[in-house]
Amino acid sequence: MKNRKTALLLCAAMTIGILSGYSETVQAEEPAEISIWHDGDEAIMQVIQEQVNEELSGDSITVNFEKKSGLTDQLKLYGNDAANGPDMYLYAHDSLGTFAEMGMLSPITEVVSEDVYQDMLPMTLEAGQYKGEQYLLPVYYETLLFMYNKDLWEGGIPDTTEGLYEYMTAHTDTEAGTYALVNQHSTAYNVAPVINGFGGYIIDENAAPGLNEEKTKEAIAYNKKFAELEADGDYNTITTLFNEGKAAAIIGGPWLISGIREAGINLGIKSLAEFELPNGSTLMPYSGVQGIGVMKHAAEEKKDALEKVFTALCDPAVGIALAEQSNCAPANQISYEDETVAGNEMIAAMKSTAEVAVPMPNIPEMSVMWGPAESLLAAVNKSGEDLDSAADQYQKAAETAIADMQ
Amino acid sequence: MKTKKRFLPWKYALPALALIGVIVVFPILYTGYISLTNMNMYHWNDYHLIGFENFQRALTKVDSGFLSALITTIIWTVLNMLIQVALAYFLALGLNAQGLRLARVYKTLLMFPWAMPAYVSILLWRVGMFNTEFGFLNKLLTAMGLERVNFLSRNIPAFLSCMLLNLWMAMPFMIMMMDSALRSVDRSYYESAKLDGAGFWTQNWYVTIPAIKPVLAPAVIMTAFTTFKQFDIVYLLTMQRGSLSGATLQTVITYAHQNAFVSNNYGLSSAVSIIIFLFIIVFSIFTNKGVEET
Amino acid sequence: MKNRKKVKRAGGVILINLIFPIICFVTLIPIFYAVTLSLEGAGGALSSGLSFIPQEPTLENYRAILVEEPFLLWLKNSAILSVGTMIAAMGTAVTAAYAFSRYRFRARKSILRLLLILNAFPQILSMFAIFRLFRTFHLLNSYLGLIIVYAGSMCIFCIWNMKGYFDTIPVEIEEAAQIDGAGGRQILMRIVLPLARPAMIVTAVMVLIYVWNEYLFSTTFMMSESSYTLAGGLYQLQSNDYSRSWPLFSAASVLVSVPILIVFFCIQKYMVSGLTAGGVKG
Repeated sequence: MKNRKTALLLCAAMTIGILSGYSETVQAEEPAEISIWHDGDEAIMQVIQEQVNEELSGDSITVNFEKKSGLTDQLKLYGNDAANGPDMYLYAHDSLGTFAEMGMLSPITEVVSEDVYQDMLPMTLEAGQYKGEQYLLPVYYETLLFMYNKDLWEGGIPDTTEGLYEYMTAHTDTEAGTYALVNQHSTAYNVAPVINGFGGYIIDENAAPGLNEEKTKEAIAYNKKFAELEADGDYNTITTLFNEGKAAAIIGGPWLISGIREAGINLGIKSLAEFELPNGSTLMPYSGVQGIGVMKHAAEEKKDALEKVFTALCDPAVGIALAEQSNCAPANQISYEDETVAGNEMIAAMKSTAEVAVPMPNIPEMSVMWGPAESLLAAVNKSGEDLDSAADQYQKAAETAIADMQ
Repeated sequence: MKTKKRFLPWKYALPALALIGVIVVFPILYTGYISLTNMNMYHWNDYHLIGFENFQRALTKVDSGFLSALITTIIWTVLNMLIQVALAYFLALGLNAQGLRLARVYKTLLMFPWAMPAYVSILLWRVGMFNTEFGFLNKLLTAMGLERVNFLSRNIPAFLSCMLLNLWMAMPFMIMMMDSALRSVDRSYYESAKLDGAGFWTQNWYVTIPAIKPVLAPAVIMTAFTTFKQFDIVYLLTMQRGSLSGATLQTVITYAHQNAFVSNNYGLSSAVSIIIFLFIIVFSIFTNKGVEET
Repeated sequence: MKNRKKVKRAGGVILINLIFPIICFVTLIPIFYAVTLSLEGAGGALSSGLSFIPQEPTLENYRAILVEEPFLLWLKNSAILSVGTMIAAMGTAVTAAYAFSRYRFRARKSILRLLLILNAFPQILSMFAIFRLFRTFHLLNSYLGLIIVYAGSMCIFCIWNMKGYFDTIPVEIEEAAQIDGAGGRQILMRIVLPLARPAMIVTAVMVLIYVWNEYLFSTTFMMSESSYTLAGGLYQLQSNDYSRSWPLFSAASVLVSVPILIVFFCIQKYMVSGLTAGGVKG
């Protein structure tokens, strides 16, 4: 029994030792260390981190990007925690409203003046605004693209979705597992180009869901006929099909690039905005803006350092480095004056898409819309349910979810 | 002396009870407290008590959807437990056969699924086994000249797929418990049973099972609860955001998750949690018979 | 007569040796799949062939995990947490289980039942409350805090599991020792625990595996990459579909499982109870 106690004591002492040794290093942090949480690609964050730190090397300020899986949940816990939480965060703009309503963010105008970021593309700035305040400094943005394998695609790329459908029916053999085009056909983000193009919407600016709107339903019905020829629509499935040369084209974004390169595919790119729908409009994807926001406590305590960080982030060199090393489309317009940026086929396609793209809604209600919207798509595309009744069912589910937020 | 003896068991149990108090009881009480407040994303830091309003709202969620989720969960728990216990019993019997030299190797291999983190196993199964294009099961079907099946897009196949995966993940523990229980049975019981001329089935029924029952009952009861509140398998296999499979299978816990937790309304979701906890208590009364016997 | 029995038994063993390899093989199919993937080059990724032989076998993924990620650091963290939790959980649960098994006191049954019901509360719902509590007591970002969480979560299981086993040990053995003048603690340490060895081991292994595979608390409560556990670090790296490299992910999963398997293999010879191994006859 004595032994057990000593063992326990030893163990406790050991852990306390480790703990105190550990917390010392944390507390010894320089006041000018700015930590930024993200849930993205570490290679991209590395590029930003290096660029910003290089520019801030004279000011004894360092920024430190830390990856946090499930960033939304983590920020709910740590967003207001000055001791353990981050100073800033970098994330897609659609969760902005949630964080702002939770009172964890300061508008960036409180630490930096407007003319510092005036060169950012207006669309990306808009995406970072909530209730009239600028909360996010845009860094780069993404849109979906039509990516194809030049060695597999026969002839030119059609300019209409109907032409695309014809090509798909002629070149798809589901039994053999070869496809003309694959897409995450039951993921709301990937169906948004059709929904927006048809004039439908998932949620409008007044936080009213539009899942059973006539136009949304038309779009979903239209998407379904493509879905039947696009494998099961799971991300892992379709990227593998494309990388293995079993699908000639894929609808995807810049995050696919590294895998495609490694697979040695002869990649061609076309903007979704260059496909015309039967109604004369084009496909209109969502745009997702990756922006940096500042936590309330940091804005109060580290104002000067944060101002310098923001100024460094606005340097066109950050955008150029991101474009060159990670194929990201910079939010900074000046970055596009650089030749390699302007000559990057993928970034050019995203920039031209951005002109018709719809920024994802960033109101808090959007966060509960993904679930019902995707359930509706899966019900129609995968379980073969009736569109009208499913649309009514999930519209109601969405309304309940929104009501539950209050 | 006498009073000392009276307090002795409490002294022995106190450290454990204190630990449980902090990690298990406190959160339940705290959840109860939050359920009485208006804590949601609009009142994240300035929430206050609002009485039983959340419970009124939460009760409206106990509709037909909830009831069918409850029935699904009960079928799920009962089926899983029956298969698990029976299968593990026979496997453990085999592993304990006298003269089986390779038992240790077999046992270690059978433990492998347990050694993997749950989310890893589930992802491996979703992509490696059930996938329509290159999942192993579908490749097997195509190799046999059959049509491919989308295992996860409809409720009944999805239920069976989840069950298969749950068995795969839970069997190692059950086998290990069975094995250690079997090893605790005194061999001399068998000798005398054999002398009485008992066959394989009578021996199992009258000697082995009664002997391992008291050792095993707690483990079986605990596993039943774990199975009841299983969330990861159903969620990650069929309803993860971005890869919904099409099935609308719901258990009590996924139902609660979908109906309360996505909304960031902590007051309301706490009330839902408390109500579900009450349901689990009712459920546990059903299993009480098993508890009584130990 | 004796010979016939022997032949029958040998036949049984042969049959078992035929059946079990098949069972093991079927069980391990998903694992083979993971191993195959982990040996693929980065471009291979998910393959559509039926074979389990990688097209261009390479150990590159294992090298990447072991060298480029703080794998050994995570391994150390996992080991510290597992052992710490095992000591804390078993240390508190053994005496409690003994008390519930041996002493007949008021509230015994109701506490046991209450514990079972408490255990039914989904742990994921507790996270928020524990977070608040730990923030107040500065237990976030510390191994001690995580050990308390893990030990508390496993404590009920440990008590129940061991109590069931203690119940089967005849009280007479202890009574004999009591007459010899041994105190309560001595009896527990010297007589009961050795007799309950299989149950102790199984329970401890269960705790070990729980800690080894847990990722939500470890990634939520620990703040920096250098203090994650193996499962937590792997989760941080690869939880997202969009950033996952399947070959790397599989290699990491296999590496995470190996230490557990080694433990399994090693403990098995200690799994025989003192009771049946000849400690007490008849």
